[in-house]
Amino acid sequence: MNRNPSPARVRRWMGRNTSTVALVVIFAFGCVALPNFADKFNLSAIAFQYSIIGFLALGQLLVILTEGIDLSQGSLVALTSIVIATLITHAGLPTPVAILGGVLASTLLGFLSGLLVSRTQIPAFIVTLGMLGIARGLALLISIGKPISIADEVFADLGRSKVWEIPASLILWLLAALLLHYFLTQRRLGRHIYAVGGSAESARLSGVNVRNIKLLVYAMSGFLTGIAGVLWTSRLSSGSPIGGVNYELESIAAVVVGGGSLFGGIGTVGGTVAGVLIFGVINSMLNLAGISPYWQGTIKGVLILAAVALSQLRRADRTNVRGVARHASDSTAGPAKPSRNI
Amino acid sequence: MQVTPLLDRLNRRATFETKGVLRILLILAGLIVVAGVLSRGVFFGPENLINLGQQNAMLTVVALGQFLVILTGGIDLSVGAILAISSVVFVLFQGYGIVPALALALLAAALIGLINGGLVTYVRLPSFVVTLGMSQITLSLAMVLSKGGTVYTGLGGAAIAAPIIDFYNGWLLGIPLHVVFALVVVGVVALYLRTSYGHFAYAVGGNRSAAYLSGIPVATISVLVFVLAGILAGVGGALFVSRVGLGDPQAAKWIVLDSIAAVSIGGASLSGGVGTVAGTLIGVIILGVLNNIMNLLGVPPTMQPAIKGLVILLAVFLNSGRREK
Repeated sequence: MNRNPSPARVRRWMGRNTSTVALVVIFAFGCVALPNFADKFNLSAIAFQYSIIGFLALGQLLVILTEGIDLSQGSLVALTSIVIATLITHAGLPTPVAILGGVLASTLLGFLSGLLVSRTQIPAFIVTLGMLGIARGLALLISIGKPISIADEVFADLGRSKVWEIPASLILWLLAALLLHYFLTQRRLGRHIYAVGGSAESARLSGVNVRNIKLLVYAMSGFLTGIAGVLWTSRLSSGSPIGGVNYELESIAAVVVGGGSLFGGIGTVGGTVAGVLIFGVINSMLNLAGISPYWQGTIKGVLILAAVALSQLRRADRTNVRGVARHASDSTAGPAKPSRNI
Repeated sequence: MQVTPLLDRLNRRATFETKGVLRILLILAGLIVVAGVLSRGVFFGPENLINLGQQNAMLTVVALGQFLVILTGGIDLSVGAILAISSVVFVLFQGYGIVPALALALLAAALIGLINGGLVTYVRLPSFVVTLGMSQITLSLAMVLSKGGTVYTGLGGAAIAAPIIDFYNGWLLGIPLHVVFALVVVGVVALYLRTSYGHFAYAVGGNRSAAYLSGIPVATISVLVFVLAGILAGVGGALFVSRVGLGDPQAAKWIVLDSIAAVSIGGASLSGGVGTVAGTLIGVIILGVLNNIMNLLGVPPTMQPAIKGLVILLAVFLNSGRREK
């Protein structure tokens, strides 16, 4: 956008897009330090694996923007895969119908979560925790607890195909991210999502239908999780009722590392994409460097904490340690919003 | 202006508490009746009740720590990892005697809790992310310590001391020692909440700014609850060793979500400031009875997560009432 990027402008851009800068630095480091890192096969392996987490992270971002959380994603991935596998293998339906069925099932359960979050007093954490159990249970129930293989070659190719050497799932994910970015920044509904997360009460008083916005984000998270489920199933060529455990934690971590705030209202699609890729790149680097898997958790945990600490320190001037607003104008605005401990 | 409602709230808390606990007791009573009828009385057999108690002592202790954190408006996703590393440390240092080994295990647990609390309070990071990251770090360190597998003996081959195992099989007045111990912990936490520091925890969760302006040591309380949650999870690790006879970095992964579910079923608000020890205990018992009855009735394991999810949702819904946030 800047015709002539002055140093000050570049610095400001870098300050706003810390996660992108971090991604570039880490990526460059990987290319220099690890001989096999920049290899075509390694990069496409990262792309295949993390475009799935990427779809989850896009859904999670929408929910987190409204100060919610979606813990059911991992179970929904498993449910989607079981629905698809059952429809293809047991019901003999054509692949596109089966895919539609899988995505629909995931969207429906996301919609249900949204209904409960927006229409009852139950906190999002508990609603989606319950949904985590329900979706996992449905997947186990439909499959009688056993994986279902899919013989369809066309379906298997879907998740493995490449366009001009680039994995199709990566292209699909980046397209979805672009679309979502447009939706969140340019459309009224998208701006309403930010408004609800910034302050649900102000949004309501400004005429935003807060309840429907909340319903929408959980349904959209269910839908995007369904897409992730399709890619995942296609890569495995089978439906698995026990897969996808803790995927939601990875997507939450990616959103947060990408600068999203669990207090709602803060976060971008670009940051989230960078957050997902940072995890993909670091994961691959740790494996290539031969770091013991026992230590990898420590490194990833420190990374998460460091990333959140950095983004928090940049926002630190809003409130002080004790959660009391520092500026006189803020302290008259009633209980300070960032005063929660969560 | 903000102080008066706070004091009002503290005064009115007693009646709030009673109502919430009564509602949750009704849910439990309903569940027990269903359990008794469906199992044709087997549920009430002494053998089954003893089982029920022994299986849920560990969850009770861990859930109480989770409750304290949730009371101040936070959440602790690292209790499972702390339990795991405590079980590993407890077994690994068996050669030094029971008390030093236990002290080391609890020290490690408290230290992780301290880091959690410090990051949440002084760097002002969201507790969800802090404890998620610390959980990964802790689990990974537990695996480094145990070299990835389970540990049956201490460093140098010392076996797990007999009194630790005996503690699980022991009785006091016809009650399993684990249950007695869990009830003692319940009593201690209940007493803590009657002290001024306990009241402060409610105040911090209810309105952090008002609590600070009232002169309550908000930072100390915020750190303290995470340390206590860490120690209680560490105690849970010791109970795990006593029950299973080994230390395991994969120990009781389910306990994070179950402890949060138990606290929520017990009527505590995830926004903080609302909740009781009694409610949490009843929440644990509801989850325990539910698991127990599903096993008694031979519900296939494939159906159990769905039923459990539904019951958690239903219980929290019934107990959420029309409470103001």
